[in-house]
Amino acid sequence: MNKVILLRIGELYLKGKNKGFFEKTLLKNIKKVLMPFDCNVVKISGRYLVRDFDEMDYNQIINKLAKVFGLTSLSLATEFDTSKENIENFLKEFKTNAKTFRVSVKRADKTFPVASNEYERYLGGIVLSANNHLKVKLKDAELELVVDIRENGKTYVLTESIPCACGMPTGTSGRGLVLLSGGIDSPVSAYMMAKRGLELVGLHFHSFPYTSAQAKEKVCKLAKILTDYTMELKLICCPFTEIQEEIHKNCAPEFMITIMRRIMMRIAKIVCDKYYAKAIITGESLAQVASQTIESINVTNDAQSTYPVFRPCIGMDKSEIIEISRKIGTFETSILPYEDCCTVFLPKNPVIKPNLEKVLKEEAKLDIDLLIEKAISKLEIIEI
Amino acid sequence: MIYLDNAATTFLLNSASEELIKYSCTNFFNASAIYGKGLENKKCIDSAKETIANALGATFADNIIFTGSATESNNLAIRGAYRKGFGKMIFSIGEHPSVYNVALELKKHGANVEFVGLQANGEIDYADLENMLDESVSFISIIHVSNETGAINDLKRINELRNKYCPKAIFHSDGVQAFGKVKINVDYFGVDMYTVSGHKAFAPKGIGALYVKKNKVVLTPIIFGGGQEYNLRSGTENVGSIMAFKNAVENFGKIKQNYDYVKTLFDAFVKELEGTDCKINSYHSPYVLSLSFNGVNGETLVHMMETKDILISRGSACSSKKSGNRILESIGLTNEQILGSVRVSFNKFNTMEEVITAGKTLKDCYVELLKKLH
Repeated sequence: MNKVILLRIGELYLKGKNKGFFEKTLLKNIKKVLMPFDCNVVKISGRYLVRDFDEMDYNQIINKLAKVFGLTSLSLATEFDTSKENIENFLKEFKTNAKTFRVSVKRADKTFPVASNEYERYLGGIVLSANNHLKVKLKDAELELVVDIRENGKTYVLTESIPCACGMPTGTSGRGLVLLSGGIDSPVSAYMMAKRGLELVGLHFHSFPYTSAQAKEKVCKLAKILTDYTMELKLICCPFTEIQEEIHKNCAPEFMITIMRRIMMRIAKIVCDKYYAKAIITGESLAQVASQTIESINVTNDAQSTYPVFRPCIGMDKSEIIEISRKIGTFETSILPYEDCCTVFLPKNPVIKPNLEKVLKEEAKLDIDLLIEKAISKLEIIEI
Repeated sequence: MIYLDNAATTFLLNSASEELIKYSCTNFFNASAIYGKGLENKKCIDSAKETIANALGATFADNIIFTGSATESNNLAIRGAYRKGFGKMIFSIGEHPSVYNVALELKKHGANVEFVGLQANGEIDYADLENMLDESVSFISIIHVSNETGAINDLKRINELRNKYCPKAIFHSDGVQAFGKVKINVDYFGVDMYTVSGHKAFAPKGIGALYVKKNKVVLTPIIFGGGQEYNLRSGTENVGSIMAFKNAVENFGKIKQNYDYVKTLFDAFVKELEGTDCKINSYHSPYVLSLSFNGVNGETLVHMMETKDILISRGSACSSKKSGNRILESIGLTNEQILGSVRVSFNKFNTMEEVITAGKTLKDCYVELLKKLH
């Protein structure tokens, strides 16, 4: 008899001929998060199993696995060789404090001689005689005892299922570039797109000396929290001070934010080229601030059309974004009070519905290519 | 690098670091052990207490309690003295957070806490204090030298007021920014408890001390354990840091001479800023210079200076993460002046050349920033 952790997978079943690729990536990701622990991971039909782990590590292992995209749920199970005798002996010793229960038998191994329904009743009788206080309840029982008889000649008995992160295995959808400001929304966007299988590279714009080194540190910290879900995350820091100063010096103040965002998009495009990312991800939410109106988003989109821009928070309320932020553990860091580059040179009256023609006219006052080239030459890469 | 953030911390003296290593690597023995090596270390700690007591002008040597920091010393002084039935407790608005926040905490739990305001020069408002004093006062804690403005409070005068209105009240002062910089005599000042820190005076971080006047104050511990430090601060004695602290104090040199020298640095720095739109927030301890620049964010200036390899700070480092500034606000600065404030703090090892370069650079940074912003 062994204690094992049974991992279930979700959408991968839909993937037809590509299933092998998805499963391989998922296995690689599982092995990666379990690297710090002494244990083995194997694949059995339609599931994964973590074996030979130290019980003391169980909670930590569960915490790690619950964040791996592609897994739908996991259970701690007792594993033994399939035989009527083994199953019944195990249940004879089974003790519980629950008041009501049911037994569910899953017979993937069709060579097992007893039919599921019949065997459920029989096993229920054994559990009852070992626990006098128990009552059978087929619907909404307090305890469901699952006896899973698999094709590999093993039986797994389990009582509880812990939900995991679902989604697609990170890395199976290619690579995206997420713009990380340090606020609440962008880490949530990163999480949501990683959930759809994107491997992520982060891009952060900083305005030293107007913003502090702590502001950059904060983004590193957020990126580090995200790596629980994204496995790896390279963070690219782009100096933005000179660009902001030039806009401030040459352009009408109300266009500051619009032009900044357009330049950020252009830089993002170049970083995508450089790091083979195929989409840009932002934390924008419609109408949240002046720069997130349809008109503003349109004008921002015009800055580059090579890559799609994913905005997974676009239809969410701030409270919904905060809820996810708390769930994934980025909220407390996101609200640390360091200024980000967007709050420097903030105009008193930013234009809410920018007109592209006017924006282009303002932009023409800058040597944008040179400014971008200079910024790109000073990119700093931080391996998180 | 030019380091002008000495009110935040100082470097460790070489000779002090040698003591730290000696008593951590070779003579590492537990000072409470009963064998000879332990007893030797105990004697060393007693000698360090004597050194520090002398530096404070105290008569006795066994009224120094070593703690893990000045923050802990302040906590011990206030929370250790506080007891049921305590009367009014008076603190100044200008206290360091390690006093101010303890006061707020006690107030939250029902203590009768009042805060005395500051004058425009950063000192406490003595008239305001006098109005607050009566025989119901049990405790007074007033910072000696302000970490924000360098203002020096007249402890002797406060003691005279205490003796006039509430002679039984306990008088504590946080002397972190005074120790080794201005002349201290706890008996002359009439303080009952006095807090000092190691790392603001060329000793290591993680060591502080509290002077407690004998037969005047009875403290109860706030940390319980093995009963070290007269049962007031349990925890194995940090003999390495204590001996390094002792060494740093032995190397204070002549306080008055150093003070006068640093005053010339202060004046030279201020002179370099002539013609800029900035306000000097205090003219007291020459070790701390608080400045408010008009029309800019002080934090940006700090970072610009950093790029030129000169380190200054924005307000005090202990509270730089919080917005606003209680102390600068209470000496009457506007929000804009607070936003534009920086703190430059000197030590006796700074050279005139360093200080002039830093002053010139700060002026240049300010002019450059103004040009970019407006």
